[in-house]
Amino acid sequence: MVDRPLDEAELVERAKRGDLHAWETIVREYQGIAFRTAYLLSGSAADAEEAAQDGFVKAYRALGRFRRGAPLKPWLLRIVANEARNRRRAAGRRAALALRAATQDRPGDAVPSPEAALVASDDRARLLEAVNGLSEEHRLVVACRYFLELSEDETAAALGIRRGTVKSRLARALARLRETLEPEAAE
Amino acid sequence: MSALEQRLQALGRELAYPAEPELAPAVIARLDRAPFPWRRAAALALAVLAVALAAALAVPQARTALLRWFHIRGATVELVETLPQAQERSKAGGLGPAFPRREAERMLGFHLALPPLDGHPPVHVLGNVLATVILRADGHPALLSEFRAVRYDVLKKSAVGKSVIEPVRVNGEGGLWVEGPPHTLTYFDERGEFRQRTVLIRGNVLLWTRGELTLRLEGRLSKAQALRIARTIR
Repeated sequence: MVDRPLDEAELVERAKRGDLHAWETIVREYQGIAFRTAYLLSGSAADAEEAAQDGFVKAYRALGRFRRGAPLKPWLLRIVANEARNRRRAAGRRAALALRAATQDRPGDAVPSPEAALVASDDRARLLEAVNGLSEEHRLVVACRYFLELSEDETAAALGIRRGTVKSRLARALARLRETLEPEAAE
Repeated sequence: MSALEQRLQALGRELAYPAEPELAPAVIARLDRAPFPWRRAAALALAVLAVALAAALAVPQARTALLRWFHIRGATVELVETLPQAQERSKAGGLGPAFPRREAERMLGFHLALPPLDGHPPVHVLGNVLATVILRADGHPALLSEFRAVRYDVLKKSAVGKSVIEPVRVNGEGGLWVEGPPHTLTYFDERGEFRQRTVLIRGNVLLWTRGELTLRLEGRLSKAQALRIARTIR
């Protein structure tokens, strides 16, 4: 018999019964997106690490309330995001995360990545400046939806808002970006 | 997806994030120590009881650590021969971050009981369990802490044998007045784990219950002053 990887629902059910190995697999699966989400919301790497860690601990303890068959990722992100927002508020920080582009020449990059090729450096800097110039609620919704590539439901969970609000904020944020970037971004 | 959305997505893949930490070992280690809070709390309560009984049954020789043991809901006061190691703290140190009252109440899940106040002092919240407000009482700062404790102890106080520990009544409910030499205070968090915050307290302390809450008033207050403030709390 060949061992097959457990699917997420099986892992959750095992974790509910106290199987920490199952939960560890889930933590490893989602720790990257949890940390990046917490970083965008808290604006601090140290707070993001704490928030993500506390979030995974609290989520495990709350597994009894997790609805069987529901998507796990938005539920986890909601818990981690709450932790991150609490830390940001406690530190008195605005979520004024100044997003920075990675350095252009990354070790090992013999040729530009497809992304770098798509977004030329000048264009990239201008686009980033425009995003950083958005209001906080617009910047965060853009960051969750496009930078973290979360779905609308996941973005809603991470930001603690409704899906309809995600849609309307995104529409306004994109319109604002187009105004700022005209005529380059005019479509 | 529009061209602008595609450019944003491409930009996102080029952004600089801090190195992602490896979270799994720390998460699993924490859960391994205390997988479920109520189990941990029950174990802790039994452990405290066992220590108290062992000390009470022991012959009061020099090695006897625990002289008397007092308890009100959510808090334990031990009278000991030697205080545990503790750190000094300022009035606001170790109280947790500060929030506006409404936000603190949302985090804590209960309404704060406070005396009449001038203004709206911030509420410090520790571990989503313990709330503390800094008051001015007869010209001196005082700390009013409160928590809802139905399943486990949040505070453990140790005082040396020369301390006064008296049962008191506040608005018809039970309490303890602790006065005398410095004593120590340890907080437990919502998981029943030590927060490693054993601190040295130099003021007098009134501990009492009010409905589902346990309250603690600390400062350079006399017993009469503390009781007067406690009785105004609503």
